[in-house]
Amino acid sequence: MSTIHVKNISKSFGDTQAVKDVSFEVNPGEIFGLLGPNGSGKTTSIRVILDIYQPDSGSVEILDGPMTDEKLNRVGYLPEERGLYQDVEVNRCLSYLATLKGMTKAQIDKTLPAWLERFDLTEHQKKKNKELSKGMQQKAQLIAALIHDPEIIIIDEPFSALDPVNTQLVKDLLRELRSAGKTIVMSTHQMNQVETLCDRLVLIDYGKVLLEGGLSEIQDQFRTNQVIITTASPLPEKLEGVAKIEPMNGNFRLSPAEGTNAQDLLGLLVNQGVRLNTFEVATPSLDEIFIQVVKKG
Amino acid sequence: MNKTLLVATYEYKHHVAKKRFWLTLLLLPLGFAILILLSMLLSRSSYDFRPIGLVDKADIISLEPDNSAKSTFFNPQIYLHTFPDEAGAKKAVETGEIQGFAVIPEGYLASYQLDYWTNKQPAGEVQSKIIGFISQNLLAAEEADPAILERLSSGNQISLESLDGKTKSDGTGWHKIFVPILIGILNLIVVMYSGGYLLQALVEEKENRTMEILLTSVPPREMMTGKIIGNLSVGLTQIAVWALILFAGLIIFSDRLSFLADIELSGSYLAVSLALLLISFIFTAALMATIGATMTSIQESQSVTGLIVLPMMLPFYFINVFISNPNGVVARLLSYIPLSAPLALSMRMAFTSVPAIEIAFVFALLIGLTVLMIWLASVAFKRGMLQYSQKLSLRSLFKKEVNHA
Repeated sequence: MSTIHVKNISKSFGDTQAVKDVSFEVNPGEIFGLLGPNGSGKTTSIRVILDIYQPDSGSVEILDGPMTDEKLNRVGYLPEERGLYQDVEVNRCLSYLATLKGMTKAQIDKTLPAWLERFDLTEHQKKKNKELSKGMQQKAQLIAALIHDPEIIIIDEPFSALDPVNTQLVKDLLRELRSAGKTIVMSTHQMNQVETLCDRLVLIDYGKVLLEGGLSEIQDQFRTNQVIITTASPLPEKLEGVAKIEPMNGNFRLSPAEGTNAQDLLGLLVNQGVRLNTFEVATPSLDEIFIQVVKKG
Repeated sequence: MNKTLLVATYEYKHHVAKKRFWLTLLLLPLGFAILILLSMLLSRSSYDFRPIGLVDKADIISLEPDNSAKSTFFNPQIYLHTFPDEAGAKKAVETGEIQGFAVIPEGYLASYQLDYWTNKQPAGEVQSKIIGFISQNLLAAEEADPAILERLSSGNQISLESLDGKTKSDGTGWHKIFVPILIGILNLIVVMYSGGYLLQALVEEKENRTMEILLTSVPPREMMTGKIIGNLSVGLTQIAVWALILFAGLIIFSDRLSFLADIELSGSYLAVSLALLLISFIFTAALMATIGATMTSIQESQSVTGLIVLPMMLPFYFINVFISNPNGVVARLLSYIPLSAPLALSMRMAFTSVPAIEIAFVFALLIGLTVLMIWLASVAFKRGMLQYSQKLSLRSLFKKEVNHA
């Protein structure tokens, strides 16, 4: 049973079709990537899931049914555009937002200090939000999304404005939450983060689903016969069974000739006296898949 | 769990904790007090309150001038002194003991002509003081009934009534306007302040994108109702504090504000006026919230807010119409508009008897419009709060998605 089931949703604003017949499912305890170029319909899809927008057609099931007021408390949301009361102290703002998610004062008093500590915001908790750096505000916003221990976490660009140390902190946290059984929907442009975190993903553009599935499934789907090698000696200009040789950062990317697969190529290279240090079947990066799919789109 | 109370409590505490709230709360009555004090000072400096003299050559003055009332800063008195001859009175003017003196000539009873000697233009009170004293003496000589003397000095009251008996008006009871005007001013100030807070808060939440977080935490209707109740409570706190200050002022200066004793306030009149005030607050707060949700910047919303004040001020402009024809078309029409109703109906009720059925109709109308406005506010809230860069048109509020709000 999926945690979120988006069924053929469409949404228009005036003459603009933001989302067209989008469907996907998010399973319990996974990190699900919601990908797409700017203006592709990701944020509209998220807002429909969260019941901020009503779809023109289609439906969304969340935790076994339509969104209800009670279910709002079981969802944590980090919007793309950051939103905190600028003139209010960090701890007061977070306490208020936590109460709106159904937490009692006692629960907040017990939980908030630990979150502030974890995000290194303890000494800044009395400052007004506007006095924080963008990175600090992002961390405070993450606390607002997570403090009430939601079952579903929807995060839009979670690494925005974060330095490498804090990026790692958030990545570790997301993995930890996944281990704890939380369902996470992550929308981001940072494909390397998707590769290292997401179990499954959907790629949408112009409001339509272009790609959906598990990360390795998709990579397999886009995998070619190309191999990447590093050698101890220079490569000859021509090799039997190789259609194209591309040097890349001290490595070589070899495209096998027609009718030759990676296994055949390994034997041919050894037979031709190429001294191999490494031999790796090329896996397409998500960036490459993204560009390829969107261009075709 | 209903989150209306959480939102209302936060809104209330948020505004009450602000310096602006306390400055408004304390500086406004202080400003009024300073204004009244300044006008008194100006009045005192432009009028001469020194005693006046009276020389009686016609031999008609038999009574002693009544100088028993104590002259104070708030209630200055012009005393009257009699002099046996003009020379003594002139000397008193020269020494500054008196500001001037009147001479009742020997042929006064034939000519009714008085001479007044002074170096400065006398105030109107001087003339009425002298004539009043002479009249008293003339009547005393005729041995008139003291009750008639009292009636003559206090003047007449004329009540106006239409032939069908439906329209009644007490044209001389100007003091009756005091309470409705007070209600009108309170309405104006509180609505502008608490409604202004609400409007500003909503536009800010839209500008700083907090709204998207709120929309995923609280249903729009609970959010909007909580905001209205919270901001309304801020306004009511202001009214309560100002009422206390006013009450304290009335007690302290009760002997200086004797005209207020003429005001008769029935319990039902007060109840109707205050209930109208409350409904008007809610209506205006919902209106402000609707505007806040549809506007994109604080500057833009402020210019629209100015337009709301206009209908609230209308009963002030038509004050004469309310006094002369409180059941006329204009007065009635203004009683049916939520923004002008508290002042309009309150003024009508002060000058005439408004039928209970009409009061009930006005209440039903205002409550209906207020419920509609709250609904509209929650629609605007949900539909307009995420349109960061463009205004939400009124027409679009009633379009298809309305049923989802």
